[in-house]
Amino acid sequence: MHIRDRKLIPVWEKTQRGERLTMEDGLTMYASRDLIGLGAMAGAVQKERSGDAVYFVLNQKIEPTNVCVLTCKFCDFAAKSGDARAYEMSVEEILAKLSPEIREVHITGGMPPDWPWERYLAIVSAVHARLPEADIKAFTAVEIDFFHKKFRMPVEEVLRQLIAAGLRTMPGGGAEVFSERVRRLLFNQKIGAKAWLDIHRTAHRLGIPTNSTLLYGHIETMEERLNHMIRLRALQDETGGFLTFIPLAFQPGATGIKPANRFTSAADDLKTIAVARLMLDNFPHIKAYWVMLTEEIASLALNFGADDMEGTVGGEKIAHDAGAVSPMALARERIVRLIRAAGKIPVERDAYYNPLHVLGTRVVGKIPYLNSVPFYALLEKRDFRILPVVPRRMGMLGAIGEIDAGPFSLMDYLAREEEMDLMGWCIATRDQVKSVMLFSRGGWRDLEGGRIGITDDTATSVRLLSVLLEQKYGVHATLERLHQGVNDYDGLDAVLLIGDEALRRNKTGLDGFELVFDLAREWYEWQKLPFVFAVWAVRRSVPLREKEELGAMLERALGAVGGDFIPVAGRHGRRIGLTDAETQEYLSGFNYTLGEREREAIAVFRRLLSPAHSGAHAPGHEREAR
Amino acid sequence: MTIQSLCDKAIAGARLSPDEGLELLRHGELLDLGAAANEIRFRMNPLPRVTFHVDTNPNYTNICNIDCIFCAFYRHPGDEGAYTHSVETMIRKFRESAANGVTTILLQGGVNPALPFEYYLELVTRTVREVPGVTPHFFSTSEILGMARVAGLSTGEVLRRLWDAGLRTIPGGGAEILADGVKRKISHLKGTSADWAGVMREAHRIGYKTTATMMYGHLETDEDVITHLELVRALQDEEHGFTAFIPWSFKPGNTPLEKIIPEYATPVRYMQMIALARIYLDNVPHIQASWFSEGKKTGQVALHFGADDFGGTLQEENVHAAARFVNTTSTEECIAMIHDAGFAAAQRNTVYDILRVFELPAAAA
Repeated sequence: MHIRDRKLIPVWEKTQRGERLTMEDGLTMYASRDLIGLGAMAGAVQKERSGDAVYFVLNQKIEPTNVCVLTCKFCDFAAKSGDARAYEMSVEEILAKLSPEIREVHITGGMPPDWPWERYLAIVSAVHARLPEADIKAFTAVEIDFFHKKFRMPVEEVLRQLIAAGLRTMPGGGAEVFSERVRRLLFNQKIGAKAWLDIHRTAHRLGIPTNSTLLYGHIETMEERLNHMIRLRALQDETGGFLTFIPLAFQPGATGIKPANRFTSAADDLKTIAVARLMLDNFPHIKAYWVMLTEEIASLALNFGADDMEGTVGGEKIAHDAGAVSPMALARERIVRLIRAAGKIPVERDAYYNPLHVLGTRVVGKIPYLNSVPFYALLEKRDFRILPVVPRRMGMLGAIGEIDAGPFSLMDYLAREEEMDLMGWCIATRDQVKSVMLFSRGGWRDLEGGRIGITDDTATSVRLLSVLLEQKYGVHATLERLHQGVNDYDGLDAVLLIGDEALRRNKTGLDGFELVFDLAREWYEWQKLPFVFAVWAVRRSVPLREKEELGAMLERALGAVGGDFIPVAGRHGRRIGLTDAETQEYLSGFNYTLGEREREAIAVFRRLLSPAHSGAHAPGHEREAR
Repeated sequence: MTIQSLCDKAIAGARLSPDEGLELLRHGELLDLGAAANEIRFRMNPLPRVTFHVDTNPNYTNICNIDCIFCAFYRHPGDEGAYTHSVETMIRKFRESAANGVTTILLQGGVNPALPFEYYLELVTRTVREVPGVTPHFFSTSEILGMARVAGLSTGEVLRRLWDAGLRTIPGGGAEILADGVKRKISHLKGTSADWAGVMREAHRIGYKTTATMMYGHLETDEDVITHLELVRALQDEEHGFTAFIPWSFKPGNTPLEKIIPEYATPVRYMQMIALARIYLDNVPHIQASWFSEGKKTGQVALHFGADDFGGTLQEENVHAAARFVNTTSTEECIAMIHDAGFAAAQRNTVYDILRVFELPAAAA
């Protein structure tokens, strides 16, 4: 990587060591004129997290009213009742606006003085009933605070009632910039940083993932921007509930704060994306919100740290003016084109960023856990496009033919053996794994008749757990799939976690769950065999030349790693709180070559899964918790 | 060779082969190209500043007999809206422009077969004599070829007589893509790439300075882009007559090609073109980015991908406007855009002599 500005090099070295960046580092980055160097640093972090994927969603924005009790200087949306522009939509009008194909409905609006609480709940329930497949993302913290005060209910109660009505996630608006100075000058009627953060903290605790925003390019200082990011980062450490960060470029318009034509500069827009990607080391996604950034800058931003293109919101109008038959389809086409032009693969997502459709070719799945890092060390753009995706979702995408190859979860491979060729590599443990862990309140036999939460990520580990419970211990329990994001474990007798989350919890412990079982060790002690969690497989229809190319690439990668995992995986380990020694020890416990013992282990496991062995109703034990 | 080693090779000053250029274009990550281009830009133009000039792009006629399918500007004789201005009208326009601070007048047609060669000579003579302080930057290669046909002279003779009338620089338009397979499809009457190169070669030998352009984002392949760059580089080796290379994207609005290519190329493609040009054209002193042809923000970003020039302020422009693509600026805004991108701004003349420097304001530095 070429970094021209030498002042950026220490910042990059810190990032590579997995150290946290400070306010000073942020100021150094903003002061640098080396836009390309900064972009390359952020792009490398983006690649490590998201591979070549850029996410978008088919979504729609509903603004039930523009009538608002607040008067904010930078807002030209709000109106007062009686104004010619004021409008209030009925539930029927809202439902009439919904397009059937959308996956996310974004509901925000003004705060009218006279709506009863029931009207908000009615909107959410009606939308949920009309489009049960679509996730509802509704109400900024400012609106939640308004409900809390106006209807005299604790924030938690407001949120609980909205969840019951169908709310799934919350938008990140209303944060503006966390600065009392700016708040007093520009939006003194809005909630401040503390209230905004408290509401998001509560939402995260209740299992509502949220977005976050920063409004930049008005009167704020660079210190204020960075302080804003640092406070978001601190809350994310605490809850892990933020999905994405969205820098919003200030639109001067008729606000009078800046001359109407003085938009943020392209350099500032791209720097802000890059700085955010580097500062917010615990945020999964950074969004280039194309409606505000312009399509041009949003598309460029996909190489400067952003892996998220928002969605079709706002695109309907453009498409409508073009006279398209399906405005939503055209808006989708536009986004897909911009993402492809940036050299990335468009990935249609749901509200939790689960991939629904991958619109690319030569796509190789990557399990986003430390244990599969060594396979991907040598990939260049020419080879294959990488999509990080949790095991269960990789299987789902493989089943619809949208992933060509990858370390498929064993269960997913077994389900589609006829269409897949094994590649000779796997992710297998010798005698323990440390990252497929059952956190339990009691011993195995205490779980009889109990409830076990299982992460949404797992495909094979959950079957291993069933086999252990029923056939090793003769115990019957109900397995409940946890939802995405933060979960409330109260009421569960045990929790199955996998991947980096399991590794982290193995180190820190999980409150209230005193006993921790390593499923690979349980298996080993029982069968005296390794356990194969995933096998590398490639779709049979992929041309032979490409298969060979991929095989050679994996061979080279593992060969280059040898037994020293730190150069390729040290940074990932440090990001999730492991020392280099721990990373080395953890990865040394894996066997990546599919040998005789591994094949035997697969055969034994397959036999145990057959109906003759497992209880007749075994799969039915699993039910969705949501 | 890996992308990184190709970049390192170019940064070190070695020349890339066409295959190597193609490899970079096809497989290079955008910011790898950008970083290499930026290194080379600072080697060739070490000051952290970006030049621009104050110019205007009027047209003396829109009547044209070349019928390019990428063009929304031309009319046939007798068509509604067809026009040809008298020399007197043009001189009056030029005087107004000069009074507004313009230093370069980029003048182009149509290729109008009804105009005698004397018309062109008179335009040049009178501009030089009557509009002091501006540089005439007149006539693309297509028009030079048209004059030769009308006058029954060789293009070399046409160029010599224009030189004697006082013309010293020629714009680089009309190149489009210098790969004949595509050229035949989009502009079958415009002549071959050898015609364009032939006129440029003759002009450079006489002593003209010219620019070279490239219009991409229509039917061309990656190979065609490399063919184009290779031709420009080889020609530059002969006489070093090119001051700058200027890529822009095809604008489909109102053109016959719009049906096949409904959208103009993305900004990412533009950055690839700017960066690749800077890496590949090791003998062309300047790469021009345009706030005008790709949008202000995209133009600003291109200043970090190897471009060291921001083009002109374009007080008048009709060709992109005919394709529904309109951007306007003022000298002040142009300077502000360059400053916002993190560079000092320097006003230049047509041949890149610096007239005035606008340093970065202290707050932005």
